[in-house]
Amino acid sequence: VASSLVCILDASAVARPHYGGTLHVEMRAAPTSLDPADSNQPNWIESRNLFSLIFDTLVSLDEYGKPEPALASSWQAEPGSQRWQFFLRHRATFQDGASVTPDAVAASLRRTNPTWKVFSEGEAVIIERDSPAPNLPAELTLPRNSIAKREGGKISGTGPFAVSQWDPGKKLLLAARDDYWDGRAFLDTIDIAMGKSLREQLISFDLGKAQVIEIAPEQAHRAVAEGRHVESSSPVELIALVFSRDPRAPDDGRQRQALALSIDRELLNTVVLQGGGEPGGGLLPNWMTGYGFLFPASIDLGLARQVRGEIPHTTSWTLGYDPADPTARVIAERIALNARDAGLGMQIASTSTTDLRLVRIPLISLDPQIALGELAAGLGLPPSKSTFASVDELYGAENKLLQSQRVIPLLHLRTAYGVSNTVKNWRMARDGSWRLSDVWLAAEKP
Amino acid sequence: MIFQRKLLAVFALTVLVSVVAVAWSISSLTRKAFEKANEERTAALVAQFRHEFNLRGEDVARRVETVAASEGATRMALALSHGSPDYGAYLNEARSTADNQELDFLEFIDNQATIISSAQWPAKFGYKENLTFISAIPKDAFLKQEELPDGAALGLFAVREVNLGEKPLLVIGGRRIDKDFLASLQLPAGMRAMFYQNLGAGFSPQFLIDTSGTVQQPDRIAPIIRQLQQQQRETTTLVHWSSNEGDDESIDAIPLTGRDNQLLGILLIGNSRRPYVELRQRIRSAALLSGGAGILLAILFSGWAAARVTRPVEQLARAAREVASGNWNAQVTIPSSDELGELAETFNRMTRELLAQREHLVQAERVAAWRELARRLAHELKNPLFPLQLTVENLLRARQQSPQQFEEIFQESSSTLLAEIANLKAIISRFSEFSRMPQPQFQQVQLNDVVQNVGRLFQAQLRAPEHVSIECKLELAEPMDLIAADPDLLHRALSNLVLNAMDAMPQGGTLTLQTRQNGDLSFVEVSDTGAGLTPQECERLFTPYYTSKPHGTGLGLAIVQSVISDHGGKISVRSESGHGTTFVIELPRNADKLQTADQALDATARSH
Repeated sequence: VASSLVCILDASAVARPHYGGTLHVEMRAAPTSLDPADSNQPNWIESRNLFSLIFDTLVSLDEYGKPEPALASSWQAEPGSQRWQFFLRHRATFQDGASVTPDAVAASLRRTNPTWKVFSEGEAVIIERDSPAPNLPAELTLPRNSIAKREGGKISGTGPFAVSQWDPGKKLLLAARDDYWDGRAFLDTIDIAMGKSLREQLISFDLGKAQVIEIAPEQAHRAVAEGRHVESSSPVELIALVFSRDPRAPDDGRQRQALALSIDRELLNTVVLQGGGEPGGGLLPNWMTGYGFLFPASIDLGLARQVRGEIPHTTSWTLGYDPADPTARVIAERIALNARDAGLGMQIASTSTTDLRLVRIPLISLDPQIALGELAAGLGLPPSKSTFASVDELYGAENKLLQSQRVIPLLHLRTAYGVSNTVKNWRMARDGSWRLSDVWLAAEKP
Repeated sequence: MIFQRKLLAVFALTVLVSVVAVAWSISSLTRKAFEKANEERTAALVAQFRHEFNLRGEDVARRVETVAASEGATRMALALSHGSPDYGAYLNEARSTADNQELDFLEFIDNQATIISSAQWPAKFGYKENLTFISAIPKDAFLKQEELPDGAALGLFAVREVNLGEKPLLVIGGRRIDKDFLASLQLPAGMRAMFYQNLGAGFSPQFLIDTSGTVQQPDRIAPIIRQLQQQQRETTTLVHWSSNEGDDESIDAIPLTGRDNQLLGILLIGNSRRPYVELRQRIRSAALLSGGAGILLAILFSGWAAARVTRPVEQLARAAREVASGNWNAQVTIPSSDELGELAETFNRMTRELLAQREHLVQAERVAAWRELARRLAHELKNPLFPLQLTVENLLRARQQSPQQFEEIFQESSSTLLAEIANLKAIISRFSEFSRMPQPQFQQVQLNDVVQNVGRLFQAQLRAPEHVSIECKLELAEPMDLIAADPDLLHRALSNLVLNAMDAMPQGGTLTLQTRQNGDLSFVEVSDTGAGLTPQECERLFTPYYTSKPHGTGLGLAIVQSVISDHGGKISVRSESGHGTTFVIELPRNADKLQTADQALDATARSH
């Protein structure tokens, strides 16, 4: 009985959250700056996750994309939604110990949004826009709107972790802040190794040197089959073909239509990506909008050939891809084969000057309106308005972007992470954002 | 051309011809040897390529067999026998297997020729592969053109079949024939391999590669490629890459065909001709050096040999010249016993005999001269002595027989005696004068002046009324060189000739004094229109004391000849009976004597 009691107590001790330990994370991304306002940094999902450890935004989004308080405890908009008031949370401090004041917040937001009118008024931060901005709270959740204090070349955030060591592009060591306004994280430190290939990450993971690694979507299925614990997000990364220019003539547009019809997205997903994504004909994933299925995504080779037959003279295109991404090459080659089946000439090339390119763009926000705007900007498409009164309007805006025939959506990929069994209470948002504040480490069994 | 130069030319020509002949022979032999070695090396390389090709084929076949026997292929074949395979599960199977087996190409294909997994074109899963060229599974490797996303490539392929159920699995693997393949060939120095991938009619430069990648100046290879595309027969061509002959390359083109005998590629074996050109240049340089050295040696040797041969000849020539100039004592010293030595000895004996004969001749002439002198003296003295004897005898007889007339006879006899004694004195005086002929005092003389002076002297005499009619003509050439001569002696000699001419024309005639210049020689001719001389008279004309005149002493022309001879000149006579006589005097410039005369003149002037 005594020994059974001891075992029960021991088991409960293992299952109970506790403070301490270092979480080792590896990633491919190699950011050289920790400033969320640095527009030169690639818009990696990993960068967003890093920023969320060091910085807070005034507002955050919940699982369903609904704004919820973060550094701002509350907010209110004046009629017309052009002027907004955000009330800051008390006890929030920067990592250097300074209190988070409305002036500091206003200065941070002005830096990243020079067209906004941002100032403090009492305990509130006032944001005035030129036009109605009913979606401003969701907009404030973007990483670039993280609140930071910049003094003497140093940047300081209000997030749950403080920077202990920073070797740009190689290593980042974060330490938990005891004075974090939302309570101290269970982890003592997070050791992030950057610039690691997927293969290196997998080796580190299997050797126990890393507890959280990235898994390529097409490898997730196999990783699970091999006994690794894999956490996947909803499909949040768009793979699409983007033309370098608008159609020059009706025949050009019809040729693009034939190409879109000739691509077997389903086979790309099941074979090339091993089910790591979802075929999609829209820019935003269906789980985010609910209308994504309305955009045709299935292959129709007969129609593609018919459309091709209506074109007297077709142009042989060059399709560019990222040479560092082996999956992208296979996808590009498959698309070229599909195009050839439809009677279209296409050569793949790893150069940047091509007629169209295969791109991967992450959805930066759980808010569909924000996500569509950022996506259009990332693809180089004409900007759409940022506020939509209804889903119909959002659909209309997305459909308009697609009608421009500058982009052919192919798939939406999931973000997958290999997570060690010692990592407890791992939670990840649908867009793949980490929630490491609640993670704790279980003791390794001997 | 002198003998020494001839000898030199013969030697140099002989050496040069020899060197050129040897150089040409060596160069020709070298070229033939090089061509032969080139052919052998090319044949060896082609054989090596075929050997490598076979080895690669065996290696490829072995690797494909390994793949076919692998667990992955077995699993795939089993999955295939259970129905349509999951392409996604095998997407990277071919690539990873190919990487493990170091194959450039690998495809797993089902019995419907559908690609299950492809290493070279992973995205081609589900597509059909063209297998019409495979009627049966070949055991050996073969050439095949493989379509790739970015073009086509030529490879060495092997096919193996995995039969685990009703649906066999085909494994087709291969290795690319590219610059790495060419680099793996062990080529001798100076040789290189190129490869042309024949993807269509005509020539495309991008399909021509060597071990470094693209080939420079591919247009030079294009004709070979086109020729092979038409004939599909191995050829050898000399390619000139530049104006430098050393860059030339002999290229053997070997067609490579696939299973359907289609021309898939062309192997080009390049063999640089630089070693041959350099060797030939070295031979030429050596030949030039040898030729130069040979010619130099020929000069030295011919000089030595010529000197050895010609020096005695020159000594003989010099001695002969001395003999010709009157030095009969000339001797040649040649210390050799060969023909030249014998010739020199003969020459020396000849001069000695000539000298002895001359001595005899001089002795004889001297005796003859004395005899002639004695005869002449006797003759000359006898004529006055006879009247003297008669006069004295007449005086003695008159004193004894007619003392009363003695005084008258004495007076007459005294006159006669005095006249004859004067005659004797004149005779003695002329002989004395001949014996005292002075040596000429050379100075610059204009011959025309001397002739004019003589003409002027006698013209006055000839114009005298009591004298017979003789016309004196002067025909003087202009210009005449200044000569070194004694003007007084010349004047005397010419005067003697003019007197002789006047004596030869007792009935009158024409006396002509003529001068002319012929090169360095000056000529004076004295002509008369008298009766002329017989050839016999002409022969003896210059003999002392010979005269054809009743009152002559025979010394006039001897004096003239003596004067002319002292001037280094000659005198000759040209006469024809009844047509007058012409004496021709030939005088040299005597430039040496002129300089001596000038120096003496200057010295005299300086002393004054």
